[in-house]
Amino acid sequence: MPDVSVVVIVYNDADRLPTAVRSVLDQTLRDVEVVIVDDCSTDSSFDVAQRLAAEHSGRVRAFQLPENSGAGGEPRNLGIQHTTGQYVMFLDSDDVLEVNACRNMLEAAEETGSDIVSGLCVRLHKDTRNQKRDEWYSWLYSTTRTLESVTELPDLFVWDTLSTNKCYRREFLIENDLRFPKGMFYEDLMFIADAYLAAKRITLIPNQVYFWHVFAKSAVKSVTNRRHEMTNYTHRLEIHRRIDALLEERGLTEMKLAKDVKFLKHDLVLHLRDLPFRDEAYRREFAELSREYLASIAPEAYERVQPIQAICAYLLQQGDWDNLIPAVDTLINRDKVSSPLAEHDGRIYWCDGHFDDAFGRSVLDVTEVGYHEKPVNRLFLRNQLTSFAESGTTLSLAGRITNPLGVIPPGAKLKGELEFSARRRSLQSFRFPVRTLRHEGDTVHWETAADITARLRPLGIVDTIWDVRLALDVDGVRTTTRLTVADTDLSGDPVQVRPRLTRMVADHFAPHVSAKGHLAFRLVSENPNSERVQELITRGVQGKPGALAKTGYRKAKALRKTLTSGDNKLRLYHEVFSRLPVKKRTVVFESHLGKQYSDSPRALYEEMRRQGLDFEAIWSYSGSPKEFPKDATLVKRWSLPYLKALAQAEFWVDNQSYPLKLTKRPETTYIQTWHGSALKKMGFDQPSLKATTRGQQAEQQRSLDRFDRFLIRSEHDVRTLAKAFRLQEKTLLRVGYPRNDALVRARQKEESLGHRERSALAAKLGIPDDKTVLLYAPTFRKAGGRHGRFELPFDVERFADEFGDRYVLLVRSHYLNHVVLPPTVQGRVIDVSAHHDVTPLLELADALVTDYSSVMFDYALLDRPLVFFTYDYDEYVHEGRGTYFDLLAHAPGPVVRTEDDFCEAVKSLDTQALEYATARQEFVAKFGEFDRGDAAQSIVNQFFAQWSR
Amino acid sequence: MSKPNAAEPRDIFFVSNSLNEMGGITSWSHQMARLFSERGHRVHVIGVVPAPAGRVHELGDDLPYRTTTLYAAHPPSVRPVRGLKDKLNLVEQRRRAAREAGMHEQAAKLSALFRAAGPGGVLIVTQVWAMEWVALADTADLTVIGMSHESFATCRKSSRFQRVKRFYKNTDRMLTLTREDADHWIRQRMDNVGFMPNPLPFFPEVPSDRSKKRVVSIGRLHEEKGVDLLLEAWAQTAPRHPDWTLRLYGSGEEEAALRKQAAELGITGSVEWMGRTGDVPGALREGSVFVLSSRGEGFPLAPMEAMASGLPCVAFDVAPGVHEIITDGEDGFLAPPGNIAELARHLDTLMSDKDLRDTMGQAARENIQRFSTDEIVGRWEGLFALVDR
Repeated sequence: MPDVSVVVIVYNDADRLPTAVRSVLDQTLRDVEVVIVDDCSTDSSFDVAQRLAAEHSGRVRAFQLPENSGAGGEPRNLGIQHTTGQYVMFLDSDDVLEVNACRNMLEAAEETGSDIVSGLCVRLHKDTRNQKRDEWYSWLYSTTRTLESVTELPDLFVWDTLSTNKCYRREFLIENDLRFPKGMFYEDLMFIADAYLAAKRITLIPNQVYFWHVFAKSAVKSVTNRRHEMTNYTHRLEIHRRIDALLEERGLTEMKLAKDVKFLKHDLVLHLRDLPFRDEAYRREFAELSREYLASIAPEAYERVQPIQAICAYLLQQGDWDNLIPAVDTLINRDKVSSPLAEHDGRIYWCDGHFDDAFGRSVLDVTEVGYHEKPVNRLFLRNQLTSFAESGTTLSLAGRITNPLGVIPPGAKLKGELEFSARRRSLQSFRFPVRTLRHEGDTVHWETAADITARLRPLGIVDTIWDVRLALDVDGVRTTTRLTVADTDLSGDPVQVRPRLTRMVADHFAPHVSAKGHLAFRLVSENPNSERVQELITRGVQGKPGALAKTGYRKAKALRKTLTSGDNKLRLYHEVFSRLPVKKRTVVFESHLGKQYSDSPRALYEEMRRQGLDFEAIWSYSGSPKEFPKDATLVKRWSLPYLKALAQAEFWVDNQSYPLKLTKRPETTYIQTWHGSALKKMGFDQPSLKATTRGQQAEQQRSLDRFDRFLIRSEHDVRTLAKAFRLQEKTLLRVGYPRNDALVRARQKEESLGHRERSALAAKLGIPDDKTVLLYAPTFRKAGGRHGRFELPFDVERFADEFGDRYVLLVRSHYLNHVVLPPTVQGRVIDVSAHHDVTPLLELADALVTDYSSVMFDYALLDRPLVFFTYDYDEYVHEGRGTYFDLLAHAPGPVVRTEDDFCEAVKSLDTQALEYATARQEFVAKFGEFDRGDAAQSIVNQFFAQWSR
Repeated sequence: MSKPNAAEPRDIFFVSNSLNEMGGITSWSHQMARLFSERGHRVHVIGVVPAPAGRVHELGDDLPYRTTTLYAAHPPSVRPVRGLKDKLNLVEQRRRAAREAGMHEQAAKLSALFRAAGPGGVLIVTQVWAMEWVALADTADLTVIGMSHESFATCRKSSRFQRVKRFYKNTDRMLTLTREDADHWIRQRMDNVGFMPNPLPFFPEVPSDRSKKRVVSIGRLHEEKGVDLLLEAWAQTAPRHPDWTLRLYGSGEEEAALRKQAAELGITGSVEWMGRTGDVPGALREGSVFVLSSRGEGFPLAPMEAMASGLPCVAFDVAPGVHEIITDGEDGFLAPPGNIAELARHLDTLMSDKDLRDTMGQAARENIQRFSTDEIVGRWEGLFALVDR
């Protein structure tokens, strides 16, 4: 008995069949047999099969169905009957097995006694240049695992529905009478569902076992490519119904839910995508079929899919076509806002209507997506083409742009530009002004005519495809849209074009719809000779000269890439820039790796400016230079000017670290201000660094040894930071933080005035005088939650309702996190995360809520109430990297863990101000003794005094 | 896979960098060679180069199998050619040519040995460096098995990573130490990878009674073994247990620095420096808790030996091999790599609770038998049979 029998099915594929069979015969496991089943091909497939059987007698056998069955199921059923091996696998004639597949499957099966062993299937796109590969649900196959029942892993059941990447115990197939359904598409789905449910044990292995060859350009499209056919959909639903019945029978509700989720995420989406391009009759029939099936989907499934997927399914079921068709646009283009949206009771909904249906409301609620917080330039708006006309030389277009939540105000100054650009990068683009733009409430109407023949000059080769965009300028802020073709008729008298090279290849611009539903053009020719010319060109491009030109181009691109690579920049820095003379009186400033203009480097810089010192200031930025000072030279982090500035600077001032690999010249003085006292273990006190080898530690140490001066706020810093960074005593500068000078001064001023004065920031944020300002500033957490955002540990709406009459809550997430606030809390809760500098916010706040963030040490200087909301204390302290001291024992304010306790603490801020007064004093004495309000001043005196004019 | 099969005697070759260089691979390969010999296989252990001076492991002269070392002296080492300058460096070129000629000469010796093997012969290459010679030899009639005796993560950080991918790609099987490591390699698209744990070096008749207040650590005094981390952890635990001592077995270049560190931490009184020991079972029998503080490991033998002696282990979880051997909370405790506070906390837990030590120690002695020599030899023979099919 052979170890494994592989059933190879073939239909009109004589050319590729031998390759598939060869991949079985060449397996590292030798005792493998091949059973070929021909689905009554009309070509020579069966002859080839018989020839193979004759050549490999004893290992290959060939069979044929008496008449064509039209699908893969029947041939496989016949194949199973003829197998004799211990295990059975399936292979299609255009695919191949990985060379170790049978051995790996057999080993796993024998070791575990599993009925099914399943491995990784890899799709190879055969006609792409580099044989692009994608792995079929690879996340299911990241490690070896054995399941006692498929119910342990519902995702396997719902997602990996292939029958081919698996090895089945033959007895198991026969005992359970597992067969493929007759005469239906998606035969795999049914077979595999039956098999999964029948299996007593299933083993998954991470090995590649099956290479699925994908030929996108083949003439006969496969079943899955012809999905627009209604029969397809009918078959799909029928299979789903049958599987649902199986699950129902066994009472597997969790599996049914998982399958419903998959239906909404995957099956329905496949068909919905085509809907905008189908006619009314099709849509009606489609809706009819869907509605009935959607009724069987569990409501919980809607919560487990992306909002837009749930929205589309809901609108389809409601038959709300007006809202569904635009929604499909967002389904295809994830970032797009295709609906005007609606605000209702302080929440944001996808569309108006359905508010009386509680389920509908929950599905359509998109508040958490945060559309309402984005400015128009960060929204990708739907732009529906409403009219299209061609007149031989001119293109006349009109359309309307969605205006969600009135983000484009009625009185806004609007300008528009239509841009045509070749899809291949770095070729030409042409712009035409938009003549009419009219605000119509929910939409902006536009129309224009473009004189294509006169103005648009393509090259004629390489740039065959042209995309169209409309750039809309709203009061000087620009947003780019694409033209969505819905029911618009694109026929007309094609516009002529005059390619720069030759009109022999193309002379017309033919409109078409891109895969994403957008208007695009293709260069075509009506010239009868053009085909010959095109052929000549193709030969040139693909022949020797073309190949030479292409490799030359690629080499040039590769060279450019190496020249600008990190390694070469480093070499340039060390071997060229560092040999240039140091420029006296230059200081390079950087805060938080260039992400902000903030913190002590800023405070020091502003003090130097205040004193009118004569020096050249250079600020490093990493994102946008917008918030950075105008009177300094700005350099982008890692750019050549940045590296040159660092190499030649007399001083480096920074609060985190300049690039680790840059060596500092001895002539340059590095003032490391650092950015906060430490609660968490830092530097070499962190377990992750302790675990590294001496070599790795030495490398780390080299970057730390660049610090010539390190600012210290207290002896606590000496015991923690200085020790953790292994700094020498002589580098320590016990002067406090320049950024905290403002806080110390604010406190002194408050004491001398007898009351607190608010800065202009309060008015800017719209905070009324009679409200108490509370700042919530938590530390960084790895983002979780539904949209990968940081979720507030309390219900912000409840907070606003309970305290909104007395307090304004400012929320400042760590600069690596992001929060979304619902519009209901407007004016009562304000997101201030975008403010570079936290100090003015601290100064403004009447009380601070934090957890483990180092702002606690700074805020304490103001002698105002602090609340510690440490809802995840145990996790943070024990499972993390550990702390230097016990926060619970030293906190100068209440430490709360639950939302209720948090609210209680907020209620009693006044009493706390007194209750914790001594604790705050001790806290400042312990952690901020050197912050005396003159840090910037004393640093200037010590290092820069000689630069005064 | 470990079927009881009265396997046919086979010719089995081990090829290592050196057959007698001190360290885990040498102990392992001679243990396996001995076990295979006892099962009737014809074993031949081959080293490419002699062990470096000062690192020689004495093998004894009663070996029941053949040994061969190819080179009489270590061949000249060469750098890979980089850029024009290297290409024009004639001296370097000559060295390279000489080395290559030498490699072919040695490979021919290997071919001669391999050709003499009977059907079903197996060649086990224990290190990828040695594979460079094997690749030049004629292995047509043998099953070639390449091994990576370290964790995937360790290998990935080293220059061996690319060589493993290149040289082991087409061997009949590549073996790692654990399933988890194998899965990592498979995801690097090495679809011929399986795994094979190390066998238990010994199983003493009488285990420790865990009554002596002594924590034991065995290993070279080298940074890789993390004794510096252990001393830091000990400094946190020791003050709470003045009647306990930490016994460090092993010697090495770090000894002076470590003694200085212990003095600075004020734990000189509770740390005993035992030096290298020839009697590991005896050392373990005198202890109650075993601690493994390494920065990197593969499939460490020391905790296996400790568990066989009935000691619960506390270890940094630095590799799949470590959590494959020790089940956290059942027969020992694991701490995140470098987390000294956690290591100290676990030591404290075991030192404070004799009942827990006994339960975990007994569980350890029980559980570790899944790596008994019978079990592992059975796995190997199962593998040989699979590759023959």
